Amino acid sequence: MKSNYRYRAKIAGFCFILPALLVVGLLLLYPVVSSIFFSFTSKHLIKTSYDFVWLDNYVKILTDPDFWAAFFTSVKWTVASLMGQILVGFTAALALERIRRGKGIYRTLLIIPWAFPSIVIALSWKWILNGVSGFLPNFLVKIGLCETAPQFFSSGGLVFPTLVFINVWFGAPLIMVNVLSALQTVPKDQYEAAQLDGASPWQSFVHITLPHIRVVVGLLVVLRTIWVFNNFDTIYLITGGGPANLTQTVPIYAYNVGWGLKQLGRSSAVTVVLLIFLLIVCMFYFKILDKWEKEGA
Amino acid sequence: MDRKLKLKRGWFGDTVSYVYLTILAIIAMFPMVWILLTSVKGKGEMMGDPTAFLPKSLTLDNYRTVIQQLGFGGNVVNSIIVAMSTTLIAILISALGAYGVVRFFPKFGKLMTRVLITTYMFPPILLAVPYSIIMGKVNLMNSRVGLVIVYLSFSVPYAIWLLVGFFQTVPLEIEEAARVDGANKLQVFGKVVLPIVAPGLVAVAIYTFINAWNEFLYSLILMNSSDKMTVAVALKSLEGQEVMDWGVMMAASSMVVIPSVIFFMLIQKKIAGGLASGSIK
Repeated sequence: MKSNYRYRAKIAGFCFILPALLVVGLLLLYPVVSSIFFSFTSKHLIKTSYDFVWLDNYVKILTDPDFWAAFFTSVKWTVASLMGQILVGFTAALALERIRRGKGIYRTLLIIPWAFPSIVIALSWKWILNGVSGFLPNFLVKIGLCETAPQFFSSGGLVFPTLVFINVWFGAPLIMVNVLSALQTVPKDQYEAAQLDGASPWQSFVHITLPHIRVVVGLLVVLRTIWVFNNFDTIYLITGGGPANLTQTVPIYAYNVGWGLKQLGRSSAVTVVLLIFLLIVCMFYFKILDKWEKEGA
Repeated sequence: MDRKLKLKRGWFGDTVSYVYLTILAIIAMFPMVWILLTSVKGKGEMMGDPTAFLPKSLTLDNYRTVIQQLGFGGNVVNSIIVAMSTTLIAILISALGAYGVVRFFPKFGKLMTRVLITTYMFPPILLAVPYSIIMGKVNLMNSRVGLVIVYLSFSVPYAIWLLVGFFQTVPLEIEEAARVDGANKLQVFGKVVLPIVAPGLVAVAIYTFINAWNEFLYSLILMNSSDKMTVAVALKSLEGQEVMDWGVMMAASSMVVIPSVIFFMLIQKKIAGGLASGSIK
């Protein structure tokens, strides 16, 4: 009787999760498998027939200097953006945790960028930094910091730092809010004990705060690494990968191959390489996180 | 606790914190403010003095152009339909799924987290290739139905992720009491559990709506006729037009970004912290 009840509960439970499983299966797993399949073919964007070319697509990509340039741009873009986001997000969270008045209002104002659609991020910053009638270039000239209006998007030296700045502007609030909520889990009496023992604020931070929040922050870093590395919109909408492919990341390269050259098969191969790289990076991350979790337990 | 905390608060650190936060807040707000100010300025005004802050005279001409000449209203309607449908379907599927995992398969919680993180790893540009092939095959190119289906791919995993945390707070005793009273599992779910998690459910729904409203890549690939475009892609196509007028662009941008920002401010307290900590415990 009892096992019968348990059996029925399992079936009921399965009915609850079935629609979600279908979504994951049909909309995520199946497309990935089909992408891997197409990466071995000469699939074209418009023509319907295709042949098996096996590893040809992969050979073409891996011997293409443009792919490697895009790959290193992606790595640079991810590392620089993440370091900036963590630095700003972390310090902002610590500052917010410290102040007593206006906490809510500061928090609300600081998270505004998080809600921005990528197209509006792109348009608003392109307008603010516009080399002719944008606010900032003209402002810099007016206060005498620059002789002529700086060209943030067409100058080879400025375009990359500008994109990273915009990505930090957009991504730091997410880090800030999550660090802030992780900080609430640190037991306050440990700080008091440390203070009585004469520990400096820096020592308390390193020995009490960090060990408590590192697992949550670590996971956050994993998720943001994936997100930034995969991100297509931001750079595509601001520079389109230019000037002269200087800001072309792997997702933009894949888009140009698939929808510019119409080589969907080869584009699939690019994205499969991208996925494999991410899987390797994340395995590495999760090793560290598991170790931290065990140490914490 | 208060006494001890006061000990470590120096006026210097407080001042530094306030100055730092004020600078950050100005940078965070600036694009929003500048979009709004530009959108109500006259045509010649921003070219004349690009650094002037307040408009000399307010005008709604830019908004009129956006709605009457560019037909942006139609794109807004498209986006509302797509984002609303995505939200309703995604929340239904995710609420059932998250509850199912929490109540019936708690041992798989950790496995589920791993699966969700793995799906998060799939590059959208990777999924875009098969989506465009499949939607072409089943004749759902340029169709809002097709776009909604594709949007479920990112909204369902995200919503489950956030909802699991809310369902974990529902005490089992309340459900058992209802079971004793003769309610079946679906009734317990609908009449007992859902009302308890309703605030969280609403927050996740709004977050799902914002993400669908903001989405760009899939919409770019699947919707190419201008009357079917969502706001994000319509904005992008405005940019490509020959007569580029920043006042008009900013008026259209403000119509896209204001709903996102307002909705997000309403729910931020409920959503924000849960992203990293939600289903991990």
